[in-house]
Amino acid sequence: MLIQVAVIGLLTGGVYAVMVSGLTLIFGVMKIINIAHAAFMVLSAYLAYWLFSGLGIDPILSMIGIVPLFFFIGKVTQRRVLSPVGDDPGLLVLLTFALAITLEGVLGSISGSTFRTVRTGYTSSIIPVELSSDLTLRLPVVRLTGFVASFVVLGVLWLILNRSGLGRAIRATIQNAEAAQLVGVNIARVRSTTFGIGLASVAIGGALFSLIFSFNGSSHLDWISKMLAIIVLGGLGSLPGALIAALILGVAEAVSAVTMTSYISPIVFYLILFLTLVFRPQGLMGAKVREG
Amino acid sequence: MLLQLQNVVAGYLKTVDVLQGLSLQVEEAEIVCLIGPNGAGKSTVLRTISGLLTPSKGSVVFDGQDISGVRPDLVLQHGVAHVPQGHSSFPEMSLLENLLMGAYTVSDKALVNRRLEAVYELFPWFRDRAKQRAGNLSGGQQKLLEIGRALMLEPRMMLLDEPSLGLDPKKSHTVFDTISRLRDETGITVLMVEQNARSGLGISDRGYVLELGRERLERSASELLDDPRVAQLYLGGGIDDTLQA
Amino acid sequence: MSRVGTFLKQYWMFVALGFLLVYPLIWRAPYYHVLGFNTLIVATAATGWNILGGYTGYKSLGHSTFFGINAYLVAITANELGWNPLWSAPLLALGVTVVALVLGWIMARAKGSAFVIATIAMLLIFRLLALNVKSVTGGAPGLSQPLAPWSPEYSRMPFYYYMLFWLVIALLVSAYIRRSRFGLGLLAIRDDEGKANMVGVNTTLSKVLAFGVSAYFIALGGGIWSYAQTHIAPIFAFSILNDVDTVLATMLGGLGTLWGPVLGAFILIPGSDYILFNFGASQFHLAVFGVLMVVIILFLPRGILPSLRDRLAARRETSSAFTGASTMEDLSDSQPRGEVPGREAPAP
Ligand SMILES: Nc1ncnc2c1ncn2[C@@H]1O[C@H](COP(=O)(O)OP(=O)(O)OP(=O)(O)O)[C@@H](O)[C@H]1O
Ligand SMILES: [Mg+2]
Repeated sequence: MLIQVAVIGLLTGGVYAVMVSGLTLIFGVMKIINIAHAAFMVLSAYLAYWLFSGLGIDPILSMIGIVPLFFFIGKVTQRRVLSPVGDDPGLLVLLTFALAITLEGVLGSISGSTFRTVRTGYTSSIIPVELSSDLTLRLPVVRLTGFVASFVVLGVLWLILNRSGLGRAIRATIQNAEAAQLVGVNIARVRSTTFGIGLASVAIGGALFSLIFSFNGSSHLDWISKMLAIIVLGGLGSLPGALIAALILGVAEAVSAVTMTSYISPIVFYLILFLTLVFRPQGLMGAKVREG
Repeated sequence: MLLQLQNVVAGYLKTVDVLQGLSLQVEEAEIVCLIGPNGAGKSTVLRTISGLLTPSKGSVVFDGQDISGVRPDLVLQHGVAHVPQGHSSFPEMSLLENLLMGAYTVSDKALVNRRLEAVYELFPWFRDRAKQRAGNLSGGQQKLLEIGRALMLEPRMMLLDEPSLGLDPKKSHTVFDTISRLRDETGITVLMVEQNARSGLGISDRGYVLELGRERLERSASELLDDPRVAQLYLGGGIDDTLQA
Repeated sequence: MSRVGTFLKQYWMFVALGFLLVYPLIWRAPYYHVLGFNTLIVATAATGWNILGGYTGYKSLGHSTFFGINAYLVAITANELGWNPLWSAPLLALGVTVVALVLGWIMARAKGSAFVIATIAMLLIFRLLALNVKSVTGGAPGLSQPLAPWSPEYSRMPFYYYMLFWLVIALLVSAYIRRSRFGLGLLAIRDDEGKANMVGVNTTLSKVLAFGVSAYFIALGGGIWSYAQTHIAPIFAFSILNDVDTVLATMLGGLGTLWGPVLGAFILIPGSDYILFNFGASQFHLAVFGVLMVVIILFLPRGILPSLRDRLAARRETSSAFTGASTMEDLSDSQPRGEVPGREAPAP
């Protein structure tokens, strides 16, 4: 029983990893905490939902359109809205927060407060995996899909970062923006592209999210706190750290949900976030210290 | 004349001009040293040349072309490389990767390899430590790496911002030696900022004293070294003297 | 000019105060009293928040934690001990300030975005506690407390005047801090914390005190709001939207100025009420607020007052040239000042 719960938690953790990968990457390059990240995820989930309920397009398929759209939105948002503000972290957090409540307001106005979720033909399908004669894991197809997709997304991100010219430019910008500029990296472009990649990845996260969770316009507030907890624990700006933290928290959350009073686990969650920020801003995973 | 700044006004905030109408020039294959107190705007001069800052007035002309307000990656294409103040290597990358980043704008692989060989020739120890993480190198080694990285572009001119900052006398001696040798061997032009005025002027042809965002004095390096006002303000004693000995 | 200007400035202050004093007597409908009261709460909170967010540069998005805590303390002590909120609110706010000092002391280590997120996490923790420790807080449905003893006919009028009194106090405190050594230290922290430390400002202590003082005025408003509301629930008492109001008002009026937060509140709250009234749907209201916030940050990042001040200064600016002294010339034929151009400590 507990193993079953833990495995499902692990699968969910994989989806969390996709949700937060862009958030931590954006922080690494720009030192911006994008509070609107979850709101963009909910936006993507709504788009997937509307495309599914209106045109019958499966969310996995609709990503083909949504992902480039989000890349573009991200690039433009960074260019036109974030970069003119300069680099006061407090102001930037407020700004992305403002973007988040704008999205929330718009989505809420359009679709009310009803919770939505995408129910496909395979939503309740389950794949049984027999481990031994008396232990059979029952894996929900949607979570399995999310888990697999998350590894594809993270793999692609890893390739971009470590095997491409853009990736070299991104890593250089993360490590020393001024020096990157002085060897000829156009850091304005690196920043807007990174923001685009960040939103593109959360668009995928949103499509997967729409299959697994239910949401309305205000859901982003619950999710951004969870996302922040993950990237803070993983070490702000560290992609591998975020993956590990996402998997751990996915499992911890699932297990604690069945073993503890329901409200204790989110409080512990925020408490960990709070204490980590204050005492170990470099994260629990021992990633390199990075200025917040 | 390779580089000429005329009445340059520049700064970080709209309300405050750090450079207040500064002019200076550098001849081909010259080493020129800027000295002046903290906050005089020395680094700002270099940043304005390399395109990190855009002058609000005045002009920066390099080799006959106006480069004022040109983006840093394009200034680089003109052959001006800037090694900024403090640590500027990419600490998480290996020494080799750092050097390759120096040639980020060069797409011709063969050319990159040729330059890499040339840099290895100048700094043979680079080859042995190619795989080492740059962040683990000592301060002096990192500074030489940064200079080596700038050389990957085969620049015509190097802007060096306090290359001896934070180094002990022996290490800074190596760095100055390297700069001097580079100029003699490759004919590169150097504009250098140095707090360590005696050693800086020691390898320079000419120097400028900068104060409050303007050039106050322009002399040959030896004249500046002999100038009592300069001696009193910038030549101090202590470490510099031991170095000279 | 300057004497008339000074006089006018004070004159307008009293005109404004006079207006606020007679406002509820002129506009007698309860709606106006509620609106005025809400505006005063935000103005007081923003004035307090500004001490931390404006003077010190630490922008909290979780200070409504203290609003919520005091709202609950006032309701609980009114129910259990029969305390009168009119005096228990400011007193209990002192207790909340002690809590804030402890939390502020813990958070003083966090900087930049880490600080902002930590404040949000703090708010969410307290909100979850309020929602779930049902025996104390009544859980999601919340708590009720006795109605104010005066006839409903007067509606919020007494609350209005009571809050006006506290706004004046908040402004006096803010003005005093601004001029004090302590306030100078706060400004120094905002400009460059490292340097502030080096010139001898006890940065940790200053930040913690600023954190506490700003919490006091926010907590105070929460206590009085609780009494006026008679029924309180966690989602309103511990709402990040309260922080949005506070922060937006401050930024709109002028971050780090004395009067900016008040001015901002008096534009923002009636304005948002107008939007609510005309467009209903609170979700749309949220979108308008979001866009407004983006617009302010992008186009009026320093707020109305500083921008106006700049305009005036620019107009007044004459051809008076900058008369900077040149140290080189100063020193060439006189004895040197003690100042030797020293090196900063080498980077570690
Ligand atoms: N990023 C910045 N933003 C705002 N002001 C700056 C910035 N960098 C430098 N300044 C200001 O510009 C002035 C000149 O700085 P600059 O770095 O050019 O001085 P410097 O002569 O190189 O001094 P040092 O010897 O300390 O390196 C200083 O008053 C400094 O405070
Ligand atoms: Mg400098």
